[in-house]
Amino acid sequence: MKEYKSPPKFPLLLLKWFCNPAYHRDIEGDLLEMYKRRLQQQDYKHARWKLLKDVILLFRPGIIRSFINTQKLNLLGMFKHNFIVAMRNFLRYKTSFLINLIGLSTGIMSAIFIYLWVSDEMKTDRFHENSDYLYRVQANFNNNGTINTWDGVPSALPAALKQEIPGIKYAIGATDPSWQMKFDLSVEDSHISGTGKFVGKDYFKAFSYPITEGTSESALKELNAIIISEDIALKMFGKKSGIVGKTISWKFGQLESPAIISAVFKSVPQNSTDQFDFVLPFELYQQIFGQSWANPNSVAYVMLEDHADHEVITQKIAGMIKKNDPNSNATLFLQPYADAYLHGKFENGKVAGGRIELIRLFILIAGFILLIACINFMNLATARASRRMKEVGVKKVVGASRRSLVFQFLSESLLMILFSVLVALVGVYLLLPFFNSLIGKEIQFQIDLRFVLSALGFVIGLGLIAGSYPAFYLSGFRPISVLKNKLVGTISEFWIRKGLVAFQFTLSIILIISVLFVYQQVEYIQNKPLGYDKENLILFERQGNANEDLTSFINELKQVPGVMNASAITNDILNPPGVRGFTWPGSIDQSIDIKRFLVDYDFIETMGLELVKGRSFSRDFSEANSQIVLNQKAVEMMALDDPIGQTVRVSGNESKVVGVIKDFHHQSLHEEVGPMFFDLQRDFLSTIVVRISETSGNETLSRLEDFYQEYNPGYSFDYTFLTQRHSKLYESEFRISVIARYFAGIGILISVLGLFGLMAFTVERRTKEIGIRKILGANVGSMVALLSREVTWIVVCAIVIAVPISFFFIKNWLSEFAYAIEVSWLVFALAGVGSLLLAWLTIGLQIFKTVRINPSTCLRNE
Amino acid sequence: MKKYQLGEFEEVVLLTVVILHGNAYGVTIKDDIEDRLKREVSVGALQTTLRRLEKKGFLDSQHGDSNDARGGRPKLYFTITAQGKEAISYMREIRNQLWEALPDLSTI
Repeated sequence: MKEYKSPPKFPLLLLKWFCNPAYHRDIEGDLLEMYKRRLQQQDYKHARWKLLKDVILLFRPGIIRSFINTQKLNLLGMFKHNFIVAMRNFLRYKTSFLINLIGLSTGIMSAIFIYLWVSDEMKTDRFHENSDYLYRVQANFNNNGTINTWDGVPSALPAALKQEIPGIKYAIGATDPSWQMKFDLSVEDSHISGTGKFVGKDYFKAFSYPITEGTSESALKELNAIIISEDIALKMFGKKSGIVGKTISWKFGQLESPAIISAVFKSVPQNSTDQFDFVLPFELYQQIFGQSWANPNSVAYVMLEDHADHEVITQKIAGMIKKNDPNSNATLFLQPYADAYLHGKFENGKVAGGRIELIRLFILIAGFILLIACINFMNLATARASRRMKEVGVKKVVGASRRSLVFQFLSESLLMILFSVLVALVGVYLLLPFFNSLIGKEIQFQIDLRFVLSALGFVIGLGLIAGSYPAFYLSGFRPISVLKNKLVGTISEFWIRKGLVAFQFTLSIILIISVLFVYQQVEYIQNKPLGYDKENLILFERQGNANEDLTSFINELKQVPGVMNASAITNDILNPPGVRGFTWPGSIDQSIDIKRFLVDYDFIETMGLELVKGRSFSRDFSEANSQIVLNQKAVEMMALDDPIGQTVRVSGNESKVVGVIKDFHHQSLHEEVGPMFFDLQRDFLSTIVVRISETSGNETLSRLEDFYQEYNPGYSFDYTFLTQRHSKLYESEFRISVIARYFAGIGILISVLGLFGLMAFTVERRTKEIGIRKILGANVGSMVALLSREVTWIVVCAIVIAVPISFFFIKNWLSEFAYAIEVSWLVFALAGVGSLLLAWLTIGLQIFKTVRINPSTCLRNE
Repeated sequence: MKKYQLGEFEEVVLLTVVILHGNAYGVTIKDDIEDRLKREVSVGALQTTLRRLEKKGFLDSQHGDSNDARGGRPKLYFTITAQGKEAISYMREIRNQLWEALPDLSTI
């Protein structure tokens, strides 16, 4: 005899579940008997399988238990009854209904908005089909122990990666998308400006920018190829297709060349961080700028093979640069391409958040607001329990089980939430354009299956959260005492309600405090003196004839009345690139992270920067070497006693220090002022900077426009003020500040509504008490104090809890900025007093109404 | 007569219960049918038929003994009722009549 193995449990449980209980025992006996017999004849697997088969075949009408017998309740009737009772309650107590509706629907509306925003953020850069295999090569630079991470790599790297590392399908070199290189494109006499970049030849195979004409294979084969977007095609040729093979001339600074259109791609979608209008072959870029391993002048993307493990590849590529350039301190690693948008911040070579923090913050706020709304609902439902207690008592006497009462109250909450969701959806639909302008996106609100399902789940979830406490509370009444009209609140219930209100207010106060600080900080960075006068500076691109002869263009520009000074610069004034390989006499084997501005004569004067030593760039001194001007921070870091006249080397070229300027903020205020230098290099100046006079701003601008039309016929005069660029740096802070203000407003509104509802009820219950007190001679003041004492205490408790929490939050947020406001206690005090006043205001009207009541009216009816 | 209407499988089960007289419960009935008719009978089909016959009043059932192999579950013994007997006789009569009415097969 074989060893006995006990039968599998699942089939027997299944049988027990569906089998008619009257038949179950003997059928199970039969099955077990047969199982044991089979076990002896055959093997366990076989016996087990047969048992399952038998059970499944038993699943037929004659055997399955009847549903009708076990549940005799008329469910439909019950539903109908519950629905009618709920509707009557809503109609009868319109104030509570409205308070709940407004509270819940605004809460849900905020949650939907945040959901829309978050899901839009999450989709960014994830539209590439090969998204799972695409990586960006990042480099960690170790400078004396501090690790800086950026994505600049030598342009020779991609080819080496492809050749030496197995598992890499494509390695693509490209120019950094953040450069936003503005080219001038022309066909015959029509010029347009477009953002272009250089990319390696597998670019369109790895990334999903669909080619509409031509092929991704051949598109970047030739050095003189250009691939343009449909938008550009439409602008230049008036059609989207049939243009492959035509010639376009492009121009970038001093570089210019004709190119043949080899393909057309669909314009880059909104949810791509990388926005460009056309691409040129990367090989051309390498030819022009060289392929030195010491010069990290490009970025690299790789696409891995299906089976390749990115950890392994990361290890293999880590030392690639060091191998080829012994002086380098760069360690390479891979970051998933789509992750870069949300996880773009690095600390010590590790991902340390980025935009994802903002998303988490907003999810937290959405949660807070929903919670506040739910608490309102719970509080009002339990506080007004006395209105329902007769109903509960009678139902219980007639024989309702607790379970059916819980079900009734839960379905009432669900109905409430359903109404709120409908109102919220209408609200979202109406307010979406406004929301889009707030966040600067174009989010569409589409109701698809996924949304409907998640909304349904949301309704049920929220209904259960908000409804379960009232449901269990209300259904727990003892029929005898409630029918005798004695509702004795337990102490714990009393505390729960108070606690919930306190919690609500805590959240609101945290929101108020945070908003005040964020507002202050945003104001602060907008107005902080930067070390130069940022007003009245305008910037525009160097185009057309200005490209031919910069000196005469700037000279003529200076003749325009109202123009104080003018110069030119290559980089974005507020976000200059760093250079590597900056050495000076005395820098033995250390290099520093330093930013470089390529500028023209008069730049320092145009900006209004203060010179502390030496001189500015001047045409009076013609020197063979290029000249540079350092800032004080750079001098300090280089530890030079007398920097003037020293020779420094920048990427191999020698330059002479002619002056030192006072530190100014050349980056966003997130960073401390770092070392930088101005480099007089007139070859690639791309942006013209003009300072106009304060007094006649608009006239000067129109004169400049006329001048420009004359000088550069066919080009449009598109200028921006430096202040606009400056605000852009803090766009996300500015947006947070505005959005947070709205959400804080919503949070406060809901809390106040809750307090209002609660107070209305308390006052209603205590009218008799007030009447009696009045008769006995109590004065108005003491009664106001009596009624408001409770609320005052609750709010004070909330303040005490909220202050340390928000202090922590704010400290954390401000630490993002190198230049931040002081955390002042005044703001906390302001928020505290403000919320207390708000609470008093909310309850004040009701209290006064009650206190002034004529005792005879409230004591008459019993 | 509609009263005695039986399906083919019902008839087989009913007859088997009579054959196994006194020892007719789920497992033995199943074995016997499989033995005689050389076809596989699922527990599900058998049990539904047994219950149906019981409901029609042709079979009666009593709980009986148990043993370890059955995990303590009792056997449910089936016996034929008077009505069941009538049904069998009726079926047999009908069949006989049909057979008698049948012409010689070789002539067709």
